[in-house]
Amino acid sequence: METLQQMGAGFGVAFTPENLLFVFIGVLAGTVIGILPGLGPMSAIALMIPIAFGMDPTTAIIMLAGVYYGAIFGGSTSSILLNAPGVAGTVATSFDGYPMARKGAAGKALAIAAIASFTGGTVGVVLLMLIAPVLSSFAVSFGPADYFALMVLGLTAVVTLGGRNITKGLIAAVVGVMVSLVGIDSQTATLRFTFGMPELYEGVKFLIVALGLFALAEVFSMLARRGAGGADGSMSSLRLNRRELGRIAGPTGRGSILGFFTGVLPGAGATVASFLSYSMEKRIAKDGDTFGSGNPKGVAAPEAGNNAAAVGSFVPMLTLGVPGSGTTAILLGALLVLGVTPGPMMLSERPEMFWGLVASMYVGNIVLLVLNLPLIPLFAKVLKTPRAVLIPLVVVFCVVGVYGLSFSVFDLWLLLGFGVVGYLMRQNGFPAAPMILGLILGSMMERSMRQALQISYGDWTTFVTSPYSAALLGLTVVVLVWPLVKRLRTGAKGPAADGGSSPDGAEKAEEDTATRP
Amino acid sequence: MKPFTFSNRVLGAAVGVLAVVYLYLAFTLEEFTAVSVPVQPATLPKWLGAVLLVLAAVLFLQKPDEDTGEQAGSDSGEDAGGTAGTAGTAGAAPAQATETGGGAPARPAAARPALGRLADPRKELALFAASIGFYIALLEPLGFLISTTAYIASATWYLGYRRHWANALVAVGVSAVLYFAMSDFLRVALPTGPLPF
Repeated sequence: METLQQMGAGFGVAFTPENLLFVFIGVLAGTVIGILPGLGPMSAIALMIPIAFGMDPTTAIIMLAGVYYGAIFGGSTSSILLNAPGVAGTVATSFDGYPMARKGAAGKALAIAAIASFTGGTVGVVLLMLIAPVLSSFAVSFGPADYFALMVLGLTAVVTLGGRNITKGLIAAVVGVMVSLVGIDSQTATLRFTFGMPELYEGVKFLIVALGLFALAEVFSMLARRGAGGADGSMSSLRLNRRELGRIAGPTGRGSILGFFTGVLPGAGATVASFLSYSMEKRIAKDGDTFGSGNPKGVAAPEAGNNAAAVGSFVPMLTLGVPGSGTTAILLGALLVLGVTPGPMMLSERPEMFWGLVASMYVGNIVLLVLNLPLIPLFAKVLKTPRAVLIPLVVVFCVVGVYGLSFSVFDLWLLLGFGVVGYLMRQNGFPAAPMILGLILGSMMERSMRQALQISYGDWTTFVTSPYSAALLGLTVVVLVWPLVKRLRTGAKGPAADGGSSPDGAEKAEEDTATRP
Repeated sequence: MKPFTFSNRVLGAAVGVLAVVYLYLAFTLEEFTAVSVPVQPATLPKWLGAVLLVLAAVLFLQKPDEDTGEQAGSDSGEDAGGTAGTAGTAGAAPAQATETGGGAPARPAAARPALGRLADPRKELALFAASIGFYIALLEPLGFLISTTAYIASATWYLGYRRHWANALVAVGVSAVLYFAMSDFLRVALPTGPLPF
């Protein structure tokens, strides 16, 4: 009952004209950026953060969340029309969406994607509303040692689920933590790794790294592949009949629930969720053998899954203050800059923000459906933006974003540096998401570690004597060792050729989008 | 066609050097002695450096993974880049025809790639990075409006966009809208340069 009451208050926040306007802007901008090939939710949010800075924090996060699911939806549009997923999370959508488009049913595929996304998002929000308060009250009893263990688990889970080569993923994560330690140490005021440069005293701002590693690096690889992948963007009718709706109802429902819980897990975001629900539907559907040749169920399941997961991934970020994915890590970074610290106390201290966000997710979903469905033909035109125009514009947006934040040319050089590093990383199979997560979590990890050891008078066993912490660290070891065991068992047979029935498929796909030739 | 892709040995060695330098710096950090603290400023960095060193060693000894394996050798040798460039030209020509818009008749196989002008993608990338560097360097002396307009126009032109009027319009329009939106609405003062506003 209390939840409903607070939800009502949340709608009060979401329905202020200003917030409505920014949900609208966020969803719209997210969709447009998400449609652009190569630019996913992370780039979209990073590009929109500078706009959010002057705003009230509640409005800002409402807008950025809108950008997030708008970008996921936009990604599915380019998956279906071009077979060029802008986002790893919508790779699974292209398996059946693109064949549908080739058969002349592009409009239907997009409509199914929109409806499934809407359902996934809505189911996700309802579950978020039910679960977040419970988890939040539970998280209040978390001590620093437990937080430290949770963050270690989050980092390793992102690595093992998000990239094919675990060693490279771990290297990226460690380097991310290293970057986060640059600057004045908050506890002892020691200068660390600043090389005597005053510009580095306050550390490396995460926006610079985010824009460099994602947006700018993407621009470099766009240039390197010479803008291959021309756009067609032809459209057909969007209408669905009742029978078609009936067919996709089951996959959509199951995908939504599976997707949400996958999203809640640290490390497993929209990408894993979409592959899981795709392969589950493929297995249980009677016409499973037609998956891959334009089965509408194969569009509905991953779309419901990835949108529900996008909402689900807000749960650990909002209740524990620990982001479970690269995208929520960027969102968390934005919140910290805005002066908001998410965590178990947020629900009691800033209820208007928490419930306003939840309510605006409902609103955002409706906006997504109402606005995007009629505008799809228009969005398809965005795909025709010549790359020669697009590339310099993305560069300018990155530069404005960084300069507007710090007014420092030094930071622009850092941006360029991280852009080059990000490009080299994706050329060589190093995932960028663990690095961003490491950067966000690094200083939090050190703080928890210090608090834990302060409480235990320097006794390192505190990390294994606290039950939560021990369990979480145990899980970390399992997460790390499990792929190794799996590889040893299947080692002789070589990598599974099955098109995405396991997290392996997701990894492959992620790799593919990152280095698509 | 994968410029700047290196073998695991090269990558492992590079990460290893990074780890060693980082460890050296970590060990030169001063101990904090004013109050007794269980975690010194150098504690976590030392751990991180050690972990990174181990990971670098693992990567160095790792067999090439399936997708980068074939290209592992191609990072040395100009001709690899050259062939990649020509392949890009052939493949990109139809893409360019569709990109230049519906009305324009398809040009006979264009002599240059759809994006950029150099055959070697590595040189192209280096040039592109340098152009961003140039833009950054000129941002404060010339001011946001002039440098951004010049950057957008020249980069778009260089990358092969042929509708020069549209290009000029986009360059001027985007810089002006960004500038005035930032300075008037968000009150973010971008560098003005020699212009009076």
